[in-house]
Amino acid sequence: MDYLSIALDCAQSLGAEYADIRIQKTKSELIYIEDMGLKHTNMSIIHGYGIRVLKNGSWGFAHSNTFTKHDVIKTVEQAMKVAEMSAKINNRKSFTLAYERGYIDTYSTKMEIDPFKVPLKEKVELMLEVNKTMLNYAKIRSVFFVLENVNDDKFFASSLGSRIHSNISHTYPRFEATAVNEKDSQPRMFDKGGNAAGWEYVLKMNLIDKAVQTAEEAIIKLEADEPGEIRRRDLILDPFNLGLTMHESVGHPTELDRVLGWEADYAGVSFATPEKLKNYRYGSDIVNFVGDNTLPYGLATAGYDDDGVPGQKWYIVKDGILNEYGTTRDTAPLIGENLSRGCSRATHYYDFPINRIPNLYLEPGKKPLSPQELISDTEDGIYIEGKRSFSIDQHRVNFQFSGDMFWEIKNGKIIRPLKDVLYKSNNPEFWNSCDAICDERYWKDYGVFGCGKGQPMQSSNMTHGASTSRFKNIRVGGSK
Amino acid sequence: MMEKQFQTAAKFIEKNCSADDFSFYIYKSDEQRTRYAQNMITQNMSGVKYGVGLCVAYGNKSGRASVNSLDENELKFLIKTAQDIAKLNKPDPEYVPSSSKAKIPVVNNLSDNTVKFSMKEMVDIIGRTVENAEKKKAFVSGIVTKTIGDFYLKNKNGFEGFTSGSQFENSMTLADNKTREAKVERSVKDVNDYSINKELEQLNSRFDALTEPKKIEIGKYNVILRPQAVINFFSFLLYFLERKNADNGISAFHESVGKNMFGKNFSMVSKLNEKGLTAEPFSWDGIAARDFNWIVNGVVKELYTDRSYAKKIGTEPNFIPNFIIRGGNATEDEMMKKVKNGLIINNFWYIRTVSLRKNEVTGLTRDGIYYFENGKIKHSVNNLRFNEVLHEAAKNILLLGKEDNITSSAKVPTMLIKDFTFADTTSF
Repeated sequence: MDYLSIALDCAQSLGAEYADIRIQKTKSELIYIEDMGLKHTNMSIIHGYGIRVLKNGSWGFAHSNTFTKHDVIKTVEQAMKVAEMSAKINNRKSFTLAYERGYIDTYSTKMEIDPFKVPLKEKVELMLEVNKTMLNYAKIRSVFFVLENVNDDKFFASSLGSRIHSNISHTYPRFEATAVNEKDSQPRMFDKGGNAAGWEYVLKMNLIDKAVQTAEEAIIKLEADEPGEIRRRDLILDPFNLGLTMHESVGHPTELDRVLGWEADYAGVSFATPEKLKNYRYGSDIVNFVGDNTLPYGLATAGYDDDGVPGQKWYIVKDGILNEYGTTRDTAPLIGENLSRGCSRATHYYDFPINRIPNLYLEPGKKPLSPQELISDTEDGIYIEGKRSFSIDQHRVNFQFSGDMFWEIKNGKIIRPLKDVLYKSNNPEFWNSCDAICDERYWKDYGVFGCGKGQPMQSSNMTHGASTSRFKNIRVGGSK
Repeated sequence: MMEKQFQTAAKFIEKNCSADDFSFYIYKSDEQRTRYAQNMITQNMSGVKYGVGLCVAYGNKSGRASVNSLDENELKFLIKTAQDIAKLNKPDPEYVPSSSKAKIPVVNNLSDNTVKFSMKEMVDIIGRTVENAEKKKAFVSGIVTKTIGDFYLKNKNGFEGFTSGSQFENSMTLADNKTREAKVERSVKDVNDYSINKELEQLNSRFDALTEPKKIEIGKYNVILRPQAVINFFSFLLYFLERKNADNGISAFHESVGKNMFGKNFSMVSKLNEKGLTAEPFSWDGIAARDFNWIVNGVVKELYTDRSYAKKIGTEPNFIPNFIIRGGNATEDEMMKKVKNGLIINNFWYIRTVSLRKNEVTGLTRDGIYYFENGKIKHSVNNLRFNEVLHEAAKNILLLGKEDNITSSAKVPTMLIKDFTFADTTSF
């Protein structure tokens, strides 16, 4: 049965100005091992369809998981009723959608080994071996390993004539060891992010070696000194710390729906308002942020977004200046843009698509520079690896971030490990203090799983990337 | 009353599952959610969701699966997948068999008034909200939600529980084009307990009290935390009060039971029949609920323990069915007069753990912060970042207001706390 056509024909016959349907089947595998106990080995399927209509310039959305002609029509009728109800409140205000055409296309994640076809025993044995390796250290009191594999099989059709089939796979392994003594406990996590790839992504990681390093660094951190009072010094951040830093301080503030106030009640708004486009100095001259939903292995790379707009690549910050936002078909026209950048995504079939951060990365430095050379060039600083305890205000200006491993630098040398380090800064101070970015040889991606946004909360994945970078004269120290 | 569809699906699973042990849940959630922003409806969503989850075991090899349909073919897939996972899985040395028959306490989480509340009535509430914002030349954003849910849990060893619940919720943020931003939110079991007039009155009062904010120095301040701020701050105890991390020396609750960590003014409990509050009658893993005194007059009485760890250390498992912090009788005026000066805080935002071992969290103020002096509000203040230890803040409680159930599953008072630590200021 061609449910796509049934839905669209019905919506148009009922007077929809625009309509789309997403039939989506999300398959998720979650394996969670705490110490040597298999807490969860779960396979979940969420399958159904969501129908979105625009009537009298207002959105209506309804969903169902019952696949019959009768239920599809009933769901369209419900979406229309909901839209008509919205229109009564919206009075003269209505949505206009950015121009788009229809596409007939398919897209699927390129992978070598389908993680769902890897025998469960093989995955669990690897995870148990990692946990066992970390628990071999007497001071490691607790460990866990989480493996998530997700496959989204989606048929999208719209009244513009689109018929798009996509099949997207993501995989995300991470584990943590916590070292404990009589005075303190310190966790250290192995987390290189998720990837739009298969099981080969996990196999290339040499996880047993990483388990040794993770456990040993947890113990090093446990016995390290605290950094003392907050004072200004230089920060060198690795790509994994920078991944979440850019997510919070660049990704979210440049989502156009936040800029327009649509998320004011919960996720917040943005300081990066439209009058700042093309003139606001977001960062130093060497700071270039690219939105790129065509990025190989990127978690937001899906061929098309949930408005049926193709993946694109564009500058969000160019030579330090705020250049463009991440947009959707219903937000772009509100700032005079005729085309969407394709950032509309929903988590499950029953979710309404919202404006999400694209794959977003900091371009590598143009001059040859290694992390070691950067450390050698730093007199008084702290090198931070990994992420932990991120907090930013609802306008996305002022933040306090931490990390997972900290090394004090004096006169060009790492002199000792530290623990419980925080850094505090704001937009535009932080990105304007960026004076050095290592070159492309050191560029690494970091795939964020589970970015929460919206009411009700939706979860989305996207990839960030950076080379190790330096930020001059930032407030760094302990918590109080 | 349990739907026939649930009964049919349950019978099918029991009949077709061949594992040594099994436990399954079935839920239905009928949801209507309408989002609004900038004085118009931006999203309007409607639909019913189903979910079935099955956990099976062969000896100590376990597997889980879940689907979102009660269709027979989906249930066959569910059973086969869970069983295949269990058969292929490695043995779990910490496996705990499903729970045995238990007496489920009677709770009343469902309101007919909420069940009958129509989409039109929800949209009318938004209409009132938008009208109010337009009168103030301001913009309102938020979400109105109605959820009716059923949940059924059964396992091979005799545990069986069914519960239904209703919730109506409205969250609204009123803002102008400058710096004023105020918010109120409330969720109730019975929509008749919700008054849009009362909520708009509170929203307007908070909004009108906002003036051009002044920047103040960081440091320790007396604070009056309103209920939303109290919930967001102290609800971290829902994660931290966990027994395994405490026993392992990972959290601040190591060897804490019986000790006064929180000061005499702080009591946190769970009560199944607290007026106006819902409570989970049983947990997802089959623990029957009861009343719990977690912290009484500052003394830690109990930590929560899952079934697996409880078995390991030979104790009874438990969970937190709802969240109540006991209050007092002080009014906000009395609180403002009790100390020379301080800050009134409507809400906190983006709270994250700084140190589990120290019980320390960080976050920012939001939705309005006011400076008061000599018993009167003087002006608004730029938002601030706090870095604070939960039990240290509790020890510094000077006065408690009446308990307010601003969410359907939590009830907390307004609090006057001395020496609350603000570690950074913001630019707005």
